[in-house]
Amino acid sequence: MDDTQKKDPPQKTAGESKPAQSGPASPAAERFIVSSSPHLLTEENIPKIMYSVIYALLPTVLVSVYFYGLRALVLVLVCVVSCVATEYLIQRFRERTVTVFDGSAIITGMLLALTLPPGFPLKGAFLGSVFAMAVGKHFFGGLGYNIFNPALLGRAFLQATYPVLITTWAEPFSGPAGVDAVSAATPLALMKFEGQVVPHLNLFFGNVAGSLGETSALAILIGGLYLRYLGYINWRLPLGYLASMVFFSYLFWLYDPLSYADPLFHILAGGAMLGAWFMVTDYVTTPVTPMGQWIFVICAGLLAVIIRLFGGLPEGVMYSILLMNATVPLLNKWTKPRVFGEVS
Amino acid sequence: MKEPSLKDTSLGMMLVLSSTAIIVGAVLAGFFQLVSAKIEANRLEEERRAIFAVIEGIECDECYEVITKDIEVDGKVKPFRIFRGHDMEGNTVGYSFIAEGPGFSAKIRMMVGLNVVPDTLSGLRVVEQIETPGLGDKITKEKFYSQFKGLSVKPEIEYVKNRKPEKANQIQAVTGATISSRAVVNAINKNIKVVLKALEEEEFKQSQIEEKF
Amino acid sequence: MAKRTITEEFKKGLWAENAVLRLLLGMCPALAVTNSAINGLVMGLASTFVVVCSSTMVSTIRRLVPRQVRIPTYIVIIAGFVTLADLFLKAQFPAISKALGPYVPLIVVNCMIMSRAEFFASKHPLKPSMADALGTGLGFTGVLVVLGSIREILGFGSIFDIVIMTEEAFTPWVIMILPPGAFLSLGLMIGIINHFTELRKKRSGI
Repeated sequence: MDDTQKKDPPQKTAGESKPAQSGPASPAAERFIVSSSPHLLTEENIPKIMYSVIYALLPTVLVSVYFYGLRALVLVLVCVVSCVATEYLIQRFRERTVTVFDGSAIITGMLLALTLPPGFPLKGAFLGSVFAMAVGKHFFGGLGYNIFNPALLGRAFLQATYPVLITTWAEPFSGPAGVDAVSAATPLALMKFEGQVVPHLNLFFGNVAGSLGETSALAILIGGLYLRYLGYINWRLPLGYLASMVFFSYLFWLYDPLSYADPLFHILAGGAMLGAWFMVTDYVTTPVTPMGQWIFVICAGLLAVIIRLFGGLPEGVMYSILLMNATVPLLNKWTKPRVFGEVS
Repeated sequence: MKEPSLKDTSLGMMLVLSSTAIIVGAVLAGFFQLVSAKIEANRLEEERRAIFAVIEGIECDECYEVITKDIEVDGKVKPFRIFRGHDMEGNTVGYSFIAEGPGFSAKIRMMVGLNVVPDTLSGLRVVEQIETPGLGDKITKEKFYSQFKGLSVKPEIEYVKNRKPEKANQIQAVTGATISSRAVVNAINKNIKVVLKALEEEEFKQSQIEEKF
Repeated sequence: MAKRTITEEFKKGLWAENAVLRLLLGMCPALAVTNSAINGLVMGLASTFVVVCSSTMVSTIRRLVPRQVRIPTYIVIIAGFVTLADLFLKAQFPAISKALGPYVPLIVVNCMIMSRAEFFASKHPLKPSMADALGTGLGFTGVLVVLGSIREILGFGSIFDIVIMTEEAFTPWVIMILPPGAFLSLGLMIGIINHFTELRKKRSGI
């Protein structure tokens, strides 16, 4: 448990002082300032944490380039550039401080690209990025104020806008994943519609059809563990989410192993890994209290399993996180620790 | 304010409200008399157009007849209408009937055409649906309809996803709108058995009439 | 409130006190049926017919109706005109009537119409009431047509069923025809208009 105490302070610094001081912290250190807590001065600031997340995402990007060719890289670049450009334009237009280089827009772009199929049209990727940045982030007031994970909101928008294109997948190594790539079904779709289960090892290393970032569990794990090592994410959120999915899918598997896939399949396939390590751990859109975080991950895991097994769509990670995002203000309020001696 | 005293009593309120209701009701009743014939004609015209779309070879505007049979559907005996299309000489060119079933949003109603030998369908037209625009409502597009032309109904219609149908009794579901496609297939499957049985009886009767000549 | 001329009563509903954009009334039909321009137009005109007729009627009998039963009386009148409009559409334009589905009967509960009856027609003489209702109705129609056009262009690539962008050149945004598309476009529309109104106020104020 000393583990948590060590981790919480930097997280709070990052989460709560974000809107107030987004530039380098040096001028603040030179003179006395009056501010609300936390008063802890650490090395961490937004750009430092954000760029660490970007490094953590690089293995996943590289793996997707390995499997799907340069088209994957182009897709990532288009998303990143359009996210950064949208943020810049909006901040200029609203006459706010331009903070495009704090890295958060780059992360949103990368995450959005990683949730898209490799052959997704670039025009569509651009549209999704603009939506994620404009509606998902800046309509709510910018970094630190958004209710929903911007990248997931962008992906949900694209899901509703291009329902056919976003479910057209390509087989790995099928050349320049463009118009004539061999189309294939994702492991989750195979499970849902055909009753086939893809071998776990393929899922782990990523040799399956799917979105850029949902193929290789290994690459995501490397990035996630790197962030955990730096102490920028706590263990509760990703492991809790995965454990919740394992638990609930285990119940169904136990009930009928023939029609429901095994728990390991569920956390290795689809967006579960990416969601657990990079979206559930988002500072802004998840609860800050330990109790709230537990409720968040358990409910999100349950929702993901229910949507996967009984919903119309094969994948439920995106909607499970978005739905739980909406409950975060309430969770934070309900689970607020009582001040010692407080009488309600 | 001529009668402030009466207006503000309970009697006054009742009088005003009920007379408003009576006047409005009378106006509506009159207007309904005026347009009901037109509305009924619209309905028939739509039905006629759907019949002509699903049965091939009807040669004149009046070349179809309605056979009403009491058929048991879902455990209830109801009058069920089967339409028989014919050419100028009166030879049967095909049959059609209306099938209904729950869709994604609400009930879907469709006109289903059967060939003379009722093993295959001759066409399909959805007459009533409120499926999701742009997705589910693709079941009203020619591309979807054309799959039902010549489709075998034996043993049952099946649907496949994201790949080309292989058997004579298979159609490809609309991508992203499986539920709507399935609703159409289920509705046809549910109704076709009773229709086939009814047609057998009808043919039997017909052949008996012909033997007399 | 300063006394306004009949023209002013008519004009205010078009823009300054537009039902959808300014008063946020009648949101249900504005969001629900505007997935194509023609649906928006028909819905707008049907609502205009109902609001003009019911305001006229309410204004005429405003002195006869006891205060306590005024709301039920207005609703009966409005429902009568809505049913008239519904039957008329069913008889003359069966295809459009089918496309609008239950939303024509639902004009009964459109707050825009009730608000005109309650706040204006029941307190004003015949002519201003008619002008006010007509302006409100046409303003409502205008917004519905614009909203329907935006959604039809982006969602189907056509406007008033005339194809302007083929499927090859432009992949339709399915979301625009779905409910989220309605919320997004209406929200953006109101947001943009508010922004420019504020801007103009600021400029003229300084």
